[in-house]
Amino acid sequence: MSSKKWFVMFIITVLLLTLGVAGMNILVDPFGAFGDKVMQWYTYDFTKNPRVAKIAYMDQHKEEYDSFIVGSSSTSSFPVEQLDRYMNARFYNLFMYGADMYDVKQTTQYIINNYKVKNLVLNLGFINAMRYKVESDPYTGSLHYKTEQSSQFDFLKKYLFANPSYSLEKLRAYKNDSYLQNKYKVFEVGTGAYDKSSRDVENIQAMPDYLEKYPVFKSYPKDRHNLGSIDELIEDTKLIKALCDKNNINLLVLFPPMYNEYVQNFSPQQLTEVYTRLAEVTDFWDFSTNSLTSDCRFFYDSTHFRNAMGKMALARIFGDNEIYVPEDIGVYVTSQNAAEQAAAMSRPISMDDESYTKKVPVLMYHDIAPKSTGPLVISTQQFEAQLKALAGDGYTGVSIQQLLDYVEKGSELPEKPVVITFDDGYLSNYELAYPLLKKYNMKATIFVIGSSVGKDRYKDTQNPITPHFSYGQAQEMLKSGIVDIQSHTYDMHQWAPFEEGKGEGKARTSITRLEGEAEDAFIDNLQKDISLSRKNILEETGNKVMALAYPLGKYSEVSEVVLSRLGIKATFTTKAGTNTLIKGLPQSLRAMNRFGITEDISPEELLERIK
Amino acid sequence: MSLSSASFLIFLVSTVALYFLVPKKLQWMVLLAASYFYYLSYGVKIVGFLLTTTFTTYVGGLLLGELNSRRKIRVKQLGREASSEEKKAVSDRFTGNKKWVVAGILLINFGILAAIKYYNFAAENTNVLLGLFTDASFPKVNWLLPVGLSFYTFQSAGYVIDVYRAKYPPERNFFKFALFVSFFPQIIQGPISRFDQLAHQLYESHAFSFDRLKYGLQLMMWGFFKKLVVADRTAVIVSNVFGNYQKYSGAEIAFGVFMYCIQIYCDFSGGIDIIRGIAQILGIDMIENFQRPYFATSLSDFWRRWHISLGAWMRDYLFYPLSLSKPFGKLGKYARKKLKGNLGKILPVSLVTFIVFFTIGIWHGASWKYIAFGIWNGGIITFSVINAPVYEKALKRLHINPESTCWKLFQILRTTVLVFIGRYFTRGEDLMTALRMLKRTVLHFDLRNLAGNVLSLGLGAFDLLVILVCCTVILGIGYLKERGVHIRKTLEERNMLVQWLVLLAGLAVIAFLGIYREGYIASEFIYKQF
Repeated sequence: MSSKKWFVMFIITVLLLTLGVAGMNILVDPFGAFGDKVMQWYTYDFTKNPRVAKIAYMDQHKEEYDSFIVGSSSTSSFPVEQLDRYMNARFYNLFMYGADMYDVKQTTQYIINNYKVKNLVLNLGFINAMRYKVESDPYTGSLHYKTEQSSQFDFLKKYLFANPSYSLEKLRAYKNDSYLQNKYKVFEVGTGAYDKSSRDVENIQAMPDYLEKYPVFKSYPKDRHNLGSIDELIEDTKLIKALCDKNNINLLVLFPPMYNEYVQNFSPQQLTEVYTRLAEVTDFWDFSTNSLTSDCRFFYDSTHFRNAMGKMALARIFGDNEIYVPEDIGVYVTSQNAAEQAAAMSRPISMDDESYTKKVPVLMYHDIAPKSTGPLVISTQQFEAQLKALAGDGYTGVSIQQLLDYVEKGSELPEKPVVITFDDGYLSNYELAYPLLKKYNMKATIFVIGSSVGKDRYKDTQNPITPHFSYGQAQEMLKSGIVDIQSHTYDMHQWAPFEEGKGEGKARTSITRLEGEAEDAFIDNLQKDISLSRKNILEETGNKVMALAYPLGKYSEVSEVVLSRLGIKATFTTKAGTNTLIKGLPQSLRAMNRFGITEDISPEELLERIK
Repeated sequence: MSLSSASFLIFLVSTVALYFLVPKKLQWMVLLAASYFYYLSYGVKIVGFLLTTTFTTYVGGLLLGELNSRRKIRVKQLGREASSEEKKAVSDRFTGNKKWVVAGILLINFGILAAIKYYNFAAENTNVLLGLFTDASFPKVNWLLPVGLSFYTFQSAGYVIDVYRAKYPPERNFFKFALFVSFFPQIIQGPISRFDQLAHQLYESHAFSFDRLKYGLQLMMWGFFKKLVVADRTAVIVSNVFGNYQKYSGAEIAFGVFMYCIQIYCDFSGGIDIIRGIAQILGIDMIENFQRPYFATSLSDFWRRWHISLGAWMRDYLFYPLSLSKPFGKLGKYARKKLKGNLGKILPVSLVTFIVFFTIGIWHGASWKYIAFGIWNGGIITFSVINAPVYEKALKRLHINPESTCWKLFQILRTTVLVFIGRYFTRGEDLMTALRMLKRTVLHFDLRNLAGNVLSLGLGAFDLLVILVCCTVILGIGYLKERGVHIRKTLEERNMLVQWLVLLAGLAVIAFLGIYREGYIASEFIYKQF
């Protein structure tokens, strides 16, 4: 082969390799720079570089939205669905993690100049006054050339010839992808917010447990943070305000809730400067300091408040009475009260836990019989003795709806609430327990297994079983207002020995993945089962299912997320212990503890346990 | 512009294209323009230093050339009748003047070098001494550091000395001479070329040749392979281990130093291969700077294979002049008289050898660690020269055949260990750190520690495997070359598919294991700093 030929071969090979890399980067598009038109896995792209991928995504979906909320990561916790409802708009959360005022300004300018914008919500945290236009990773931290108005050539060069490992990484992640949010996909594409589905179903109870789980709050780092870019914050806000005024855009400026100990890391002088100067530019809603900002349970981590808190903040702005909002949440700041409001921030806050939390014990019963035949079958006599003791000790039986109202709306609970529950839906609950509950006026909840309602023989195999009450009987109990009917699944509490042709480990005895079952299939089965259970209860009795007791008490993060997405607001396990309900934190209703009651527990012992 | 940056590649392609497009007579001007463009990319102010050296050595060359020709004329004028004493007197008069000129020029140029590289070091150490007696001290100066300073200074100094020795006439065209000093691929990290070997090639016209293009590209690929795939990869472990040596046990430190041995060879020789490849495309053959130093059988053999152009420079312009100088001649006579046997014979040579290596040590930089490095090399080589007869006797006694493979392997291993120890000094933060690391290596050496921690030194199993495979390839090819196999020729004889596969593999390895090793940022070559 001549040297000339070799050289031609060299050039062709170099070109092939170059094209190969560029082609892969376009097709896989790990940063979403080219709109990710093939894989369309935007949650991954947003996670890799929200500044670039969100703009590339929005360019393709701009017709679907007419309003935007912009800011750094804390912005994620203001739910856009709520804004949509209050403002009759279609909001998108364009937040970028770690965004400084430069990112905010450039992005805002771009959307105003290129999209139809009705409303703009600007969330300004202190991060926006701490730094400005800092050097960041060129691939993951840079702005889109359209928002930055920088060279398109450089942008294309960078992302076309980005390290192919990024593409391989995305393909690998795609292959191993699973249902729950994880480190490479932390966004909800439809809303643009963080996917907090897992964190929003974690069980949150008493403070000591939370501190154990998130030790950063135990001894919060004391540090002095400098607000070095106040000028830029003010100037850019001015610019955005002017742009909104010019384009007839409704602008709402917010200061987000901040963990009180974090706020103490800023100098009071600088806080005052930010507030007074900002108030000269625009009025704004300040949520930075309120009674709940000293309660770390309302924070995901040291600088990010929970969605629940964002929900309260928006409810406050728009006067939503359906949602619990503590009185001191949110102050409308104008140049009149800016200095005063800033001064309030520097004062540490402490709040009386009792005023918004409540200890609630839950009792778990199964079958009742005139005479006990085993520890789980309680004799009528013992059951009545226990009810009598509870009533005598001042306990009031409460419904799950009352728990929900306490958490969501802030309605009060009786002085000493107790939740009495029965699993499975045995006929004895109707025949023996119901009259006693009425007698002592104790509310109770029965979790029924959908497939065995009204039956005394096992489904399919027709083996005799303990009889279960019927939907008609359920309806009668519901009407009394004493008993509530909720779900114990439709058919996910199977009795293995009676299942036809199912060997060991094949029967679905609880909400857990079967051996060898794919995650997708499991989730599909779970969704179908719960939907069927609640559909039957609704159709047969008119009652809405919002709570579920886990068969055998077994649950997982996946099951919690699936159930919460289906609208199940309270779940119960079989772990013994009391519960702490927290107003405004729906997480306190997840995976609640229950005291399992057995025949041998005397009334006195029962009172002692649930104290 | 780093040799491995995209902007350099664009610059290179444009330069090569222009070079072969312009009329052949103008080719050298393209090179000159490209060279200054390239040098300017490192900073505008530093060009002043380059111009000073170019100008002084150019004028010095002219003066020396003038004195040479005048001397020739005067000696001729004396005619045949003149006695040899008369001729010698005339000659001596000129030699005296020439000595003044050459001394002046060298003083200026080495003066700049000394001021920039050694002033602060000297001031610092002098201040320590001064501090014992007075409060006065020399201030620290933040010099601009012209890149490639010692390379082009040594190259032009060699030229001046050669003209002084009337080895060749001086270059009269200033611009052509400026090209010799600044020729772009080599100015930053050598090799230190000789005027009579390189200059005429720069000025001659060169026709485009696909053969040269191919060989040049192949050489460059080999260089990029060593630099990007191996050197930059080992660098991760090296900077980690040297930066945090306190954290590591002896075996881990030794592993880090061993990685540094690989790194510095692949980095430096890779750079030189790229430079020689570029020159080859332009029609210019540059001298070799490395000849498989990892196969050296002794430390002096190593220095004949490693950074050859520096060693040769030292030999021609320091070793020989010193050895042949009057003081050393006297010393030789004295030693032979006073000391009996071998020692007396070789004492002056050993002393000069020691001085040369000491100089090589401080050529690398102003620091006690480089002085220690010089002493280490000079000491070992001098010691082995002095004891050579002892070794010979010992070999005979032990019935070891010095030509046997086993003995050769032992020698290579021994040399590797000696070079390896020297590397503690060149890479350690300072002399004390180097010594502390050495101490740790010796006193806390535990291989089990290394086995447990090898993956936590900065590289994963895959990268370590890449290094292992690449080093095996480099050693294998080195071995074949040592045996005289022409690898590129052998490859050319294979069919097109095989050739293409080799090419594809080479480019793919450079691209995916080199350029894209990590979030790629073009890194600088180590030897540029010297």
